[in-house]
Amino acid sequence: MTATDLDFSSEISQGDLLLEVIDVVKHFPVRSGSLVDRTKAQVRAVDGVSFSLRVGETLGLVGESGCGKSTLARLITALLPVTSGQIKFRGRDITALRRREMRPLRRSIQMVFQDPYGSLNPRRRVGSILSDPFIVHEKLARDEVKRQVQDVMARVGLSPEHYNRFPSEFSGGQRQRIGIARALALRPDLIICDEPVSALDVSIQAQIINLLEDLQDEFMLTYVFIAHDLSVVRHVSDRIAVMYLGTFAETGPVEEIYNQCRHPYTASLLSAVPVAEDAFRGDRKARVILTGDVPTPVAPPSGCRFHPRCPKAQAICATEVPVLEQKPGDSPGHLTACHFPITEGEPLALASRERSTGVPVTITEPTAPEPEGANP
Amino acid sequence: MSLLRADLGEAEAATSIEPESSSPGAQAQEFVGRTPWRLAWARLRKDRVAMVSLGVVILLVLVALLAPALTALIGHPPNAQYTTTGLSLSGIPVGPGHNGFLLGADDQGRDILSRIIYGTQVSLEVGVGSTAIALAVGMVVGLVAGFYGGLVDTLLGRFMDILLSFPILLFALAIVARFGPSLELVLIVIALFTWPYIGRLVRGQVISLREREFVEAARALGAGDLRIMFVEIAPNLIALAVIYATLLIPVNIVTEATLSFLGLGVQPPTASWGNMISEAQTGDLFTVAWWFLVFPCVALVVTTLAFNLLGDGLRDALDPRYGRSQIPTPTRVRRAARLMRGKAADEAKAGAS
Repeated sequence: MTATDLDFSSEISQGDLLLEVIDVVKHFPVRSGSLVDRTKAQVRAVDGVSFSLRVGETLGLVGESGCGKSTLARLITALLPVTSGQIKFRGRDITALRRREMRPLRRSIQMVFQDPYGSLNPRRRVGSILSDPFIVHEKLARDEVKRQVQDVMARVGLSPEHYNRFPSEFSGGQRQRIGIARALALRPDLIICDEPVSALDVSIQAQIINLLEDLQDEFMLTYVFIAHDLSVVRHVSDRIAVMYLGTFAETGPVEEIYNQCRHPYTASLLSAVPVAEDAFRGDRKARVILTGDVPTPVAPPSGCRFHPRCPKAQAICATEVPVLEQKPGDSPGHLTACHFPITEGEPLALASRERSTGVPVTITEPTAPEPEGANP
Repeated sequence: MSLLRADLGEAEAATSIEPESSSPGAQAQEFVGRTPWRLAWARLRKDRVAMVSLGVVILLVLVALLAPALTALIGHPPNAQYTTTGLSLSGIPVGPGHNGFLLGADDQGRDILSRIIYGTQVSLEVGVGSTAIALAVGMVVGLVAGFYGGLVDTLLGRFMDILLSFPILLFALAIVARFGPSLELVLIVIALFTWPYIGRLVRGQVISLREREFVEAARALGAGDLRIMFVEIAPNLIALAVIYATLLIPVNIVTEATLSFLGLGVQPPTASWGNMISEAQTGDLFTVAWWFLVFPCVALVVTTLAFNLLGDGLRDALDPRYGRSQIPTPTRVRRAARLMRGKAADEAKAGAS
């Protein structure tokens, strides 16, 4: 492997294939006992995920806590080794790189972290934190580093005079700007945003999202945007992927998924988005209430992982794993892993109420108000 | 108690927001950031006990540094024997204040004050020196053990446990007996048996620090292990290190005094507090000439106390998470009371308007 092979700095243009994730699996062993390292069980955090991403695109990754979103992010940034599968960045498999070979990759794939408090070292000045990328990768002279740092600070809307401040002297939103500046410093191609706004106030969230969008246009960035706030994801993403217990339940263009999702899990997530004003949304879908909790990823359910909670589950769902495939009537990029995808206008909410209460529901009015406390 | 502590916390927050400007023109200057150290210093300054202890510690350092000048000023070199002025005709040493002996003389007619001054040098040299070595070794070993975990951690951890399980004094005695007593050896032996305390502490801290997101962020940038350990993690350990070093210094001073007392530390005629105490109580002379035994003991107690109280104060100032000392000192009670009065006054004012 020669140095030119690993050079990720060549020009790329909008629409080129940037990232391919092919059947990636990450299992964490659950060990017990320190002397005899016996692997007792596996947490199947990410269990066979595939997708691809083109330059300039934003993929929104949604799912409940613990569904493997953050693990997937850390696999793509090579912070964690994969158990199996391939991650191809600009056509090269990055899962087998050695440490030294990883360095050019680090420049090209960066990450913005969820917690703007935990992700900045409290004992280091902002200038020092932001000069890390230049010191680690470029070996620049001291005043050149300072110039670059102040440049990138200005770029993300921070005052360059605050170079000498500590992170504790900034607000949450400003701190997240610092985190973005750090990720942006080396002009990466791909930025993984791991819930970048979920720790911020709503008004600040908008600022940060706008900043990310501006930077995307300016630097032709590609984002993987992880969030559990579906309205945020809808706003920023071109495509979204819905994860459930380490696998993709459904993926596709954002508007198509929001308008006509096929997977009952996606439907339940979407129906849980709070709507501010009912009067303007006559087409509001009735809530799809799920029963039970997310099963443990140590022993995921057989067949379709969603079947124990699915309002439409049938016998086959418990035995056969559904393939992530295009369903009739969907656009080519819209894939769903479900044996019984939702058809247009199907009243899924009723089925979910039937399941959660155990009593057949005969009401046909989908917008009927639900009695308080009907669902434990 | 918890109410009192909460109030104190508020009082701190309220006062530390005020700009610390001594000159009226300072406000016009650029806003000076409240760095963690600046905050800690602001907190420490309000702790009267710690400030007095800090004063004593600074005084001790000055005394040690200026020992030759001070003894020259007194006019009595530490090892000079004043058989005519220092001892009475019957051979009893003169008491404090006689013949220019401020703290009296010992059985050989040597000036106790001069000897205590030189003893300060020895005590601080060994106390600070051994602690510095212990700190350096403990930090590095703790960092490595905590950062890498696994087998490295197990091996280093067990090694530290083994060292800690040795009876320090007994083992130190054996080593000194084997290699012959000297100041350097004492210093190294003490460091050898105290670094695991720092090491274990640091290890624990590192284990929690290495899981923080800023370490992950550094990794994502491509920083190497060494850079993460020493640039990312180490700065977060300094507060802890400063606190425990300050608390370890007096322990090491006492250990040195103990070894000297047992005749295996600093060798006479070089003065150290330990061998002064030892010499004082070998005969029965101290029953008559009490100053001879008491003053070195006082020096030892004052030094130990000052370092310990300063360490406590530093812990409160640098690591407020651990909570303030449980003892409601008069200062703290007064401060809380003042705050309560202020609050009551504010409420009354608010109610009136």
